[in-house]
Amino acid sequence: MTDANIHLLKICSDWILFVLCIVLVPPLCLGLIRKTKARLQNRVGPPLFQPLLDLLKLCKKGETISSTMSGTFRLSTVVVLATMLVLAWMTPWLSFKPWSPNADLFLIVYLFALARVFTLLGALDSGSAFGAFGASREVTLGLLVEPALLLGLVALGLFSGSSDLRLIFAYSHFQYLGATAVPGIWLLVGISILLSSLVELSRMPVDDPTTHLELTMVHEAMILEASGRNLAFIEFAHALRMSILFGLAAQCFVHAAAAVWCMSALTEGLLSIGGICVIAISVGVLESLSVKLQWRKVPEFVAYVVSMSLLAAFVAAGTGVARL
Amino acid sequence: MMSSIDLCVLCAAVLACLMVGSLHLRLNLWLYGAETLCIALATLFTAQSHSESGLIYIALLIAGLKAAGIPLFLGWTSEKLNVHRDVGAVIAPPLAMHLTIILLAFSFILTRGLPAPSMAASGWYGATAGISLLFTGLVVMLTRRLAIGQILGFLVIENGIYVFALTQTLGMPMLVEMGVLLDMLVGVMVSGLLVFRIQKSFEHIDVAQLTSLKE
Repeated sequence: MTDANIHLLKICSDWILFVLCIVLVPPLCLGLIRKTKARLQNRVGPPLFQPLLDLLKLCKKGETISSTMSGTFRLSTVVVLATMLVLAWMTPWLSFKPWSPNADLFLIVYLFALARVFTLLGALDSGSAFGAFGASREVTLGLLVEPALLLGLVALGLFSGSSDLRLIFAYSHFQYLGATAVPGIWLLVGISILLSSLVELSRMPVDDPTTHLELTMVHEAMILEASGRNLAFIEFAHALRMSILFGLAAQCFVHAAAAVWCMSALTEGLLSIGGICVIAISVGVLESLSVKLQWRKVPEFVAYVVSMSLLAAFVAAGTGVARL
Repeated sequence: MMSSIDLCVLCAAVLACLMVGSLHLRLNLWLYGAETLCIALATLFTAQSHSESGLIYIALLIAGLKAAGIPLFLGWTSEKLNVHRDVGAVIAPPLAMHLTIILLAFSFILTRGLPAPSMAASGWYGATAGISLLFTGLVVMLTRRLAIGQILGFLVIENGIYVFALTQTLGMPMLVEMGVLLDMLVGVMVSGLLVFRIQKSFEHIDVAQLTSLKE
């Protein structure tokens, strides 16, 4: 085989691995959370890949649509799924991935916002009162948590001197910095992304995703009117968003570890998948142990997330001053 | 390059910042205990780097009296008085927490202007932590309405002064340190008893309403 052929083969295998991850990791995340919760309640729980089977079953089902809906509802699902796929391609949520374009951190944050806006439009278009409820809450949560996510990523950008997430998450920026501060920044940003993802995905301390009371739901209230293939797409996009955010947090933790111990590319790859699984399991444990916060107390929780990002930003700026 | 002393005192400063964000007395006391434990650890590392055995006893005393004793005593007081939550004043606690973090950054800039101590265990970072703890204690005292919160703010300020002295000098004489520790313990005890008296006379411990004492 020639060099060109080997190169082609490598690109193909990279893509196949990446697409497999995009298809399998999101349902695995959901499955792990459900399984952990079930085990902690002394139940056996569904098999790990049950969410994937559920999605496949939903695809085969027929669909009921409210008569007040316009085309926006259908469009919103498509846009949300497409945005999530683009985000999964661009965001460094796994340490291994095929070639991807320049992923500016502001672009990433606002692509998440774009997906949120279209979920809202879909919810409002469905004409049900609960959709509007959920949409209103989702906007509140989004407004609260956006500064935390943005500040955390900016902190990373500050100390690595680039706003391109590919360069920030490239395992190469820690040689010439004050060695103690670097794992500190990564840890702080990792915690901040993890906690803000709990808010963003409306998971436990903020909202109970398994609730059956429409008055308290956030994400579930917005997708009440969706059914069949539409629902499958929305659910998959949501699970993909979860694994991207958990993956980013896991990458932060792996970087913190990599700043202390040297690692090979294979270890990093295994750790990035393992990190997502560990985060999913700990979210399951958290959801079993904690109770839902009062809606008025959510800003207090978010304040702690913003504090983590603020601290990280100041430490990053401080190491910059110390370097001068 | 940061030493383990720097790391400990900065940890204490950050824990103090996080303390401002919640009004739950028990969480506040826990965080105060953790913060003081960090300071005790820093003292231990200083003792190791200066090879002074006296500081080891001080570290143990701080861990025993300040990190465990005082939070337990104040927790017991609040249980007795049946208060679990402060009402807050002036600024909302989440905003106050962000303010203290900004003050932490400000004190970092402030300490750049200080002359670096030549012989001390820890220079700029120690001074940053000390000054930031002072600010944090101030903010705690400003944003709390109950007497227990005021005592906590005072304790944080005391921690700040101690951290500043520990990191900027070669270590104060052991007798002075022990005297300060004893004074503070007595102070907290007395103010704890005072809180009981205030509660008994006025049926609340809200310091904002204490001006209406005069007849």
